[in-house]
Amino acid sequence: MLNEHFTLTKRHLGLLLFIGGVMGFWGILAIDLLDAGREGGIGPAQQIALGLMATAALIGLTLIPLGNHPA
Amino acid sequence: MRTTVAPAPLFQRANRLLLAAALLILLGYFIIYGVYAVNLMLFPFDYDQGEGFELVDTVMFSRGEWPYQDTEIYPFYSSNYPPLFHVMAAPFVWVFGPAYWYGRLLGFLGTLVTAGAIALAVHREGQHRWIAVLSGLAFLASNTVYHIGPLFRQHMTMVMFETLAVVVLAGVNEISDTRQRRRVLALGLGLILAAGYTKQLAYTTAIAALLFLFIRQPRRAVVWGLGFGLVGVAVFLAIDQATSGQWWLQTITANINEFRPDQTVGLFRLWFGLHGFLLIPAALMVVYELYFARLSVYSLWFVMATANSILSGKWGAGDSYFATAIAAMCILSGIFASRTLNASWHFPQNYLSRWMVNPLRRFAPQMAAAGLVIIPLIYLGYGRAVLHIPTEGAVFSDIAGALNIQGNAYGGRFYDSAGRIAGGYADIGHLTTAEDIAAGWSIVERVRATDKPVLSEEAAFNLLAGKDVITNPTQLLNLANNGLYDGAALIHMIENQEFGLVIFRGQLYPVPVLIAVTTYYEQTDTVRMNGFNYMILEPRAQ
Repeated sequence: MLNEHFTLTKRHLGLLLFIGGVMGFWGILAIDLLDAGREGGIGPAQQIALGLMATAALIGLTLIPLGNHPA
Repeated sequence: MRTTVAPAPLFQRANRLLLAAALLILLGYFIIYGVYAVNLMLFPFDYDQGEGFELVDTVMFSRGEWPYQDTEIYPFYSSNYPPLFHVMAAPFVWVFGPAYWYGRLLGFLGTLVTAGAIALAVHREGQHRWIAVLSGLAFLASNTVYHIGPLFRQHMTMVMFETLAVVVLAGVNEISDTRQRRRVLALGLGLILAAGYTKQLAYTTAIAALLFLFIRQPRRAVVWGLGFGLVGVAVFLAIDQATSGQWWLQTITANINEFRPDQTVGLFRLWFGLHGFLLIPAALMVVYELYFARLSVYSLWFVMATANSILSGKWGAGDSYFATAIAAMCILSGIFASRTLNASWHFPQNYLSRWMVNPLRRFAPQMAAAGLVIIPLIYLGYGRAVLHIPTEGAVFSDIAGALNIQGNAYGGRFYDSAGRIAGGYADIGHLTTAEDIAAGWSIVERVRATDKPVLSEEAAFNLLAGKDVITNPTQLLNLANNGLYDGAALIHMIENQEFGLVIFRGQLYPVPVLIAVTTYYEQTDTVRMNGFNYMILEPRAQ
């Protein structure tokens, strides 16, 4: 990856977005699960962040089939 | 496969005519913007709340002092803004003394440079002069840019550095000469550092640029990212050391403010309502690059800046937080428009092009002809959507009357198509008058008349009267909202009636300070200036 001629492909980018989106989504949900003392459930900022993570994961999925085209 | 067509001469003529009409409209906005900027430069007081405190920062830098001070010690002043804009303005203080015009001039010139950089980027990518010019003018025609461009504020200078940085970095990976590529990388990343030390909000441009470098060549991104980070952190630590930790406290810790989701939603709706004509082609350009070409730094910048605009819902934030996304939008929509007019779209074969593009290829000539008309109509639509014009004054009142435009702000002094539907939208845009200036000087005379210090929510009155500027109310409130402000010394002075006058505008001090003032001072006069009521309070009889 640290080769001078290496460049990210659409598949790489898709995987990064998908994995990052899924992990981010569950990570944001985990804030409430781990911090059990919090009140009010999922707040507006969390909802926005969840939406962004889900969108990133979906875009990632659609990029994966594009294969080795450079990103 | 490329779509190449030769549209009918009729469409070509319609295209030129409509482009000329769009150019005329956006040039009209440019003239309005210039008149507004000159009007503000001639106004010697605060136009937008807080400008005076940016002037105080500049004056302090001109004396070799840091504005990041302990707010518990007289004169209880501090700033939450990084230094570069004020350092740039400091030489003017040496020559002209404290004044607003040079800060406003720098802000205004910064927007012109940004518009020029946008035009350059669009022309370089799209090879269409008309669209390049329209893209630069579209930036200046935005209601948000119009509002804040000619203010004594650092925001648009940050946007200028951000725009210059991405325009410099856009083609860096294609430079084959190693030495030249390194020089361009150093210049681009240096401009991002300059943006960050003008205003903290530029961090997203740094992320977008490093992401761009990482996608193109991870090794280069890691090496240069490390160097960039080291320089940025070293400067940060040096300032923090020089200010005994006040830099961290005032610019970072105190900047964590309450988030109001409804304000963010309102401002996003407004942003789309005003800029939708160019936002849609910009978003389509991002989608095109994502699925059919390589991602440019412009697309990544647009996405990051748009996401960062969510922070516009913070207390103290507003529509200015969209300015970076507007600059990126103008570049991307300009490239989209150029490619459409030049019929130079290229869709490589993949599952999406087979599904969505191939069935339309036989209509390419008709679509290219339609594009010749639709693209200028987009700029005409944008020109209508961002309609803003002063409705008073010799020329403007005639134009407003001829177009049947009624002022909807400041008692009919200004029309803004944004209306006033969203919290955080800058409630400015009108021209100041001779009466406003006279009202301001009458307050300065009141400040001069007392031999005691004056607690004023606007710094200009104290500066022009030759008195100490006491506190920065919004910064005290930032600190208080984060539990970082005691205020005992200031409140003690208020209780002892050590201030000859108190001048309120927005009453943005922390609540205990406001309670102390209203307990020990009483309102004796109100001066209306620039659409605001300035309350003059004097010590109550004991």
